[in-house]
Amino acid sequence: MSKEFTTISIPTALYRKIEETIKGTEVSSVASYIAKVVGEALLKAEAEPEVFNKEEEEKVKDRLKALGYID
Amino acid sequence: MPRKLLVIGLDCAPSEIVIDRRAEFPVLDRLIGGGLHGKMRSSDPPITIPAWMSMTTGKDPGRLGLYGFRHRTGYSYDKMWIATSQAWKERAIWDVVGDHGGRSVLVSIPPSYPPRRVPGELISCFITPAQENAYTYPPQLRTEIEAKFGPYQFDVVFRTEDRDEILKEIYAMTAKRFDVIGYLLETRPWDFFMFVEIGVDRIQHAFWKYSDPEHHLYQPGNKYETAIIEYYKYVDARIGELLARAGEETAVLVVSDHGAKRMKGAFCINEWLIREGFLTLKDKPQRGASIEKTPVDWRRTKVWGWGGYYARLFFNVEGREPQGLIAPEDYEKEREAMIDRLLAVRGPNGEAWATRIIKPNEHYPEVRGDYPDLMVYFDDLFWRSAGTLGYDTLYLAENDTGPDDAVHAQEGMYILYDPLRKGSRRVDIDILDVAPTVLTTMGLPVPADMRGKVAGA
Repeated sequence: MSKEFTTISIPTALYRKIEETIKGTEVSSVASYIAKVVGEALLKAEAEPEVFNKEEEEKVKDRLKALGYID
Repeated sequence: MPRKLLVIGLDCAPSEIVIDRRAEFPVLDRLIGGGLHGKMRSSDPPITIPAWMSMTTGKDPGRLGLYGFRHRTGYSYDKMWIATSQAWKERAIWDVVGDHGGRSVLVSIPPSYPPRRVPGELISCFITPAQENAYTYPPQLRTEIEAKFGPYQFDVVFRTEDRDEILKEIYAMTAKRFDVIGYLLETRPWDFFMFVEIGVDRIQHAFWKYSDPEHHLYQPGNKYETAIIEYYKYVDARIGELLARAGEETAVLVVSDHGAKRMKGAFCINEWLIREGFLTLKDKPQRGASIEKTPVDWRRTKVWGWGGYYARLFFNVEGREPQGLIAPEDYEKEREAMIDRLLAVRGPNGEAWATRIIKPNEHYPEVRGDYPDLMVYFDDLFWRSAGTLGYDTLYLAENDTGPDDAVHAQEGMYILYDPLRKGSRRVDIDILDVAPTVLTTMGLPVPADMRGKVAGA
């Protein structure tokens, strides 16, 4: 069994910088901002070549919808 | 060199048909009469993807990091990715066979697009976008197959209510697949041969209501009453032809990835979340709108869902989702409260439901990938989940996305016939037992990270 959340420490200066950055934006907290930015960076680093182009992906999704696997 | 073993995969075949009605299928009856057989508990979730992967790698979906055909991309609200063969990170039966000098022929095991290099040959499956895509390994296998048999048919079109048309297509697809398999059995060097016939799943989803007297839309004496059973008889005869070409000492495994049962209806999970105050939309949606195409007010949304044969629920958590609402320290409390609400959901006539709920991070020994916060099997999967929106009801009598009368059952079936160790015995197994059983039957060692047992040992 794994816990869904864990805690890390970051420099206070960085924390304050992020607070300023997200003021007035839709991002709700420093933690959300970090999760979003780091998550996107990791995805980019891990990215494999796309299997489907846009048209192929829509075709496969439509097929899976008609088959009842997704909606 | 390994002993030869042929796996005949019948997608969605339940033991209630294959084993309980064995007297109607002479070939399968002979295998049951000489082999281990019984129910096979499928994966959680019991869906084509990841079940076939779970079966052939001997690993559960948590370890595989795969929970269905599609997955949320990270913690985004609306980005998703479709599971393809690139999602296979774990070693499968054929990799072990290859390590020991054996060769495998693999036909249409989901997901096998794009076709990957394997120690042997491979034809991909129904997530191949179109005929024009490269769909074999090695690439030249496609030219050979098409020259002899014409274009390979991965699946049937499932967007029509014309049942006669669906029936015709299912038979045409199955006939061609068995022709191709028979050809490969005879012309290829192989030690492990495995294919999945998707027609069994398709005919059940399209015709269940015509043959199951307990289905709420069943009408006695209809013209499709025996459609499913007649198809099984056809497949039984075709299996007989394959066995004649497979070799007398070849061990045979007939197996399904999960079972089937009647659909009672579809429960509108996102409509329910709206009514319970967990999901807020910006506009009134059109009937049947997908949630990812519907503007959601994320600042006033705590939970949203995806539909299909089971429901996935996602929580909008601060520090995780871009506009998270639930504080991380409240996450478990909110999950427990949601579970209580879900378990209290009743049917349209107030009937109690045997709903099953899974917390992925607690259910699997190891949990990887993009897993949901909750997995929900409404009324033990009898009620599929409709994640689409714009309904003035929580209950739909029919599927929200296409012609479909059946849902999945947790248990599929298997028959293991070993001509060198004949003897009929009923032993129920788990899906994780299949890979160790196959490898042991072939005389190969079982990797230490395959947790399952050898059937009947």
